[in-house]
Amino acid sequence: MNDRSTLASAKVLVTGGSRGIGRAVVLAFARAGAEIAFSYRRDSAIARSTAQEVAALGRRAYHRASDAADPTEAARFVRDAADALGGLDVVVPNAGIAPTTGFEGVEPARWAELSSTLLVGPYATVDAARPYLRSSRGSVVLVGSIAGLRAYPEELPYSAAKAGLLSLARSLALAYAPEVRVNAVAPGWVHSDMTRTLYDSPRGRAAIERTTPRGRWGEPDDVAAAVLFLASEGARFITGETLVVDGGEQLAWRVGMLR
Amino acid sequence: MFDLSGRVVLVTGASRGIGRAIALELGRAGAAVAVHYHHRADRASEVVNTIEGLGAAARAFAADISDRGQVDALLRAVGEWKGRLDGLVTSAGIFRGPSVEEVDAADWTELIATDLEGTFRSVQAALPYLRRSDQAAIVTVSSVLGSHPAVGGVPYQAAKGGIEQMTRALAIELAPAIRVNAVAPGFIRTDINRTGHEDPTFHDQVARATALRRWGEPEDIAPAVRYLLSREADWVTGIVLGIDGGIALR
Ligand SMILES: NC(=O)c1ccc[n+]([C@@H]2O[C@H](COP(=O)([O-])OP(=O)(O)OC[C@H]3O[C@@H](n4cnc5c(N)ncnc54)[C@H](OP(=O)(O)O)[C@@H]3O)[C@@H](O)[C@H]2O)c1
Ligand SMILES: NC(=O)c1ccc[n+]([C@@H]2O[C@H](COP(=O)([O-])OP(=O)(O)OC[C@H]3O[C@@H](n4cnc5c(N)ncnc54)[C@H](OP(=O)(O)O)[C@@H]3O)[C@@H](O)[C@H]2O)c1
Repeated sequence: MNDRSTLASAKVLVTGGSRGIGRAVVLAFARAGAEIAFSYRRDSAIARSTAQEVAALGRRAYHRASDAADPTEAARFVRDAADALGGLDVVVPNAGIAPTTGFEGVEPARWAELSSTLLVGPYATVDAARPYLRSSRGSVVLVGSIAGLRAYPEELPYSAAKAGLLSLARSLALAYAPEVRVNAVAPGWVHSDMTRTLYDSPRGRAAIERTTPRGRWGEPDDVAAAVLFLASEGARFITGETLVVDGGEQLAWRVGMLR
Repeated sequence: MFDLSGRVVLVTGASRGIGRAIALELGRAGAAVAVHYHHRADRASEVVNTIEGLGAAARAFAADISDRGQVDALLRAVGEWKGRLDGLVTSAGIFRGPSVEEVDAADWTELIATDLEGTFRSVQAALPYLRRSDQAAIVTVSSVLGSHPAVGGVPYQAAKGGIEQMTRALAIELAPAIRVNAVAPGFIRTDINRTGHEDPTFHDQVARATALRRWGEPEDIAPAVRYLLSREADWVTGIVLGIDGGIALR
């Protein structure tokens, strides 16, 4: 079955869909013919412009500010989105933040902020979407990170929360089967506002190019294509998987890259 | 999305089973498909005819994948066909499930020569052609048994585990130019395990152990290979993608 016909008129929810990877996911689904609902945290001007891009593709984009880190808010957004679209076929918990925390003396408030944004909030979104997905036999694609697979002391709580999110993909896949598939993508270094400081510093930018076997940063579209594939009919026998989209970076442990 | 127009792709073991479904899917995506087989010329020509019926180019090529000389000749013939090669999918393979004591030297050699060395040799012989493509990508075929053990068939499982690490090592050595990924199917209904899925008891055991509650079909594997070969997967390399209905989650 081709992806156009299966995602055409699919009802897709994306959290944090206004910028970066979320925006690319929103637009990729819209190009495939899907109807969209997306949330954002506060930047309504950018959200409006993303919604206009969707409208220009001839698709609907229900959107509003909704804190994806707050379980009650997240569940309310799911209900509103399902009402607006008339159900849900695909849910993509993507909203995220990545403050530099290091590994020393990380404050409980930081732990709470990161685990609620990257773990508790996504769980609440998926849990609230479960009845809609069960009846549509839909699927979930969580946006994880290779930080959840590798050591990452520079952002220790982020890394730990992403590892938790990838674990969620496996357990929920088993819990929701066979009606609903649950998978994750694990991006490497992607050019977005989240990584802008590093990307804009010539040395930081080059360092990532050097340690990424494909020799370049990822673009949000690279991740969006993987999300779209996992949500498509073509992935009907894939559940509980983590699709790494990182230009090969997770292979590049230091000795491995030496010649 | 996931369009392969203008690409030339060799699929080994494309006369039957998973390789056949992959060849058809790549033809549907617009690729010119070199349909490799060993003995079953009849089945290979059916695949070629079907792809041509979809409006894409295809041609059948015979070779014993466990024979180095034949693999080299295969790649020369495929390379000459359209004057280029952009993709390689290594699906040719055999399965044997003997107990450890039952494995004799000939069994070991046949399994390793076909599944493990056959994969490596295909990649090696394809390299001169793939190096000239700006869209070069390889997809190897492992198995859920490449990382999750089962009782019976140690040589097969060693070969599949070998294919997974081979895939990662190739991804890093052939970077940045050539992407290399693997798919790891679960239990898929083909000739390779016909006695298994035709036995009602075993059939049900596998279906029950699979989170999605069924056996896989060759058509379940093909779209992932198409994605992995496509431009949209340009930043994906060195992964092993499980396509197993969630059979190994617990
Ligand atoms: N960029 C990378 O290298 C990379 C790598 C691996 C994984 N990831 C993951 O990919 C996801 C997206 O990252 P990105 O790079 O696209 O980030 P980004 O460019 O900073 O965009 C973040 C998006 O999430 C929204 N958001 C943040 N917190 C939210 C909250 N509490 N509630 C609702 N929306 C919220 C933002 O809305 P506002 O505009 O209103 O703030 C924005 O739309 C994150 O989960 C991130 O961890 C990114
Ligand atoms: N089916 C499953 O459950 C499953 C699960 C995981 C992985 N796999 C893997 O998927 C791949 C394909 O399996 P399948 O299930 O599609 O098997 P299949 O239906 O038996 O097809 C095997 C294919 O490989 C070719 N082949 C076998 N030995 C060969 C040799 N010595 N030289 C050249 N070609 C040879 C056959 O060619 P002829 O038609 O000419 O004989 C045929 O095209 C194998 O690598 C297998 O290990 C299968």
